Amino acid sequence: MQALRTAATGMSAQQLNVEVISNNIANMNTVGFKKQRAEFQDLLYHTIERAGAQSSEQGTIVPAGVQIGGGVKAGSVYRITEQGAVTNTGNPYDLAVEGRGFFQVLMPSGETAYTRAGNFSLNADGQLVTEDGYEIQPAIAVPNDATSIAVSKSGQVQAIRAGQTEAEVVGQIELATFVNDAGLEAIGDNLLMETAASGPANVGAPGADGFGTLLQGYTEASNVDAVTEITALIVAQRAYEMNSKVISAADEMLQAANAVKS
Amino acid sequence: MDNAVYVGLSRQMILRRELDIIANNVANADTVGFKVESLMARTEPAAPAETFGAPKPVKFVLDAGVARDFGQGALFTTGSDLDLGIEGDGFFEVTTEEGARYTRDGRFRLDELGRIVTQAGDPVSGDGGGEIIVNPQDGAVTIAADGTVSQGENAIGKIAVMRFDDLSALEKAGDNLLRNVSNLQPEAAPDVRVRQGMLEGSNVKPILEITRLIEVTRAYESVTRMMESTADLSRRAVERMGRAN
Repeated sequence: MQALRTAATGMSAQQLNVEVISNNIANMNTVGFKKQRAEFQDLLYHTIERAGAQSSEQGTIVPAGVQIGGGVKAGSVYRITEQGAVTNTGNPYDLAVEGRGFFQVLMPSGETAYTRAGNFSLNADGQLVTEDGYEIQPAIAVPNDATSIAVSKSGQVQAIRAGQTEAEVVGQIELATFVNDAGLEAIGDNLLMETAASGPANVGAPGADGFGTLLQGYTEASNVDAVTEITALIVAQRAYEMNSKVISAADEMLQAANAVKS
Repeated sequence: MDNAVYVGLSRQMILRRELDIIANNVANADTVGFKVESLMARTEPAAPAETFGAPKPVKFVLDAGVARDFGQGALFTTGSDLDLGIEGDGFFEVTTEEGARYTRDGRFRLDELGRIVTQAGDPVSGDGGGEIIVNPQDGAVTIAADGTVSQGENAIGKIAVMRFDDLSALEKAGDNLLRNVSNLQPEAAPDVRVRQGMLEGSNVKPILEITRLIEVTRAYESVTRMMESTADLSRRAVERMGRAN
């Protein structure tokens, strides 16, 4: 019975939906996290009687055909790159991007990863690094006798050395943008990788045309909205239940067919 | 006598098909732009039964076609710039490898070339054909109610919204797409409004589907019972005739 398989596709689609929602909720407090959404599409249709087919020699045609759908499938899991709220942390190495753009992170493998999570710190050499100790690109080295550092909106990093009053420029932070942000591949640890779908990275200084600006002492909160997620969860749960109801109806019909006495 | 069993069988086959369609509706209750379907049944008069003294021809149940309800689904906000919902009678046109397809699913995005594409990566047609190319460096994309796409002050294109005089020209092709299976040419739909940041939900009404589901199950059971009593009847007839001998 097709109905059994169709309802099963509905149940597995809703299961995927719940998985995506639960990942969003779990990352509600993850810095720079972007919520995801499961997108569904209907499956192929099996045409039993084609609309427009001739129904007689006189040229009359079938006005409406019979097509039976095979259920639903997940089209894609889409990342919604809406801006998250910026929250004050007071840490001078915390940076938030307001607008478009990703920080570039040098991975141990030599590849470049991209992130919106700007909760950076310094390593033993005075380099600006991510939580995992990966250097950001281009490298920013803060002198070890610096008493304070300032990051401008346009990404210029300045440090005041001990015993001096003049600030000294120690580096320039650059951002990367992509034509299709949603095409980036998440690899965990708040990091994203470039893919063929995202297009090549376009690197530039913060504040330039098409790039966001930086905010020192703030981080970008996750853009997950608890109310939307919980509502989506309720919808998914009920849809799952309805599909299971179809399965039990199909089962009941098969049972009735099996119970026929000869 | 056996005709009753065959009539019952024809009804059971249609009921099963109807269940398949309900299952597809329920599975797609959460699919953007999905349009609900239902099975239309008709009776088919067959040759008169060959039993003696049966004056009426036997009628079987057959499927006549699938009715598709193109009614508006509820629009809901998503906040994504390239999510578009259509208010009114019209479709977006998508250019796939197999030719033009039509859809009410407005979950678009940009591809690596900056084109506005569907989930599957097929470009969305602009007014009068062609693709719409966005330069992400030029700022946010605004889409007006008539489909005009602009970035800042510059209009960069217009999303085509087409309509069909006769909706039965369309056949579902999966992936939320519809295929034109007739010679009918679509025309522009000027009175339709495109809503940016919104999507059209499926127009499946869960309560109706579940009610129909119960109806189908019960109808199947009663047809089964009818077939059983028919079989009973012939068994009793055989027993009696056996006694007369």
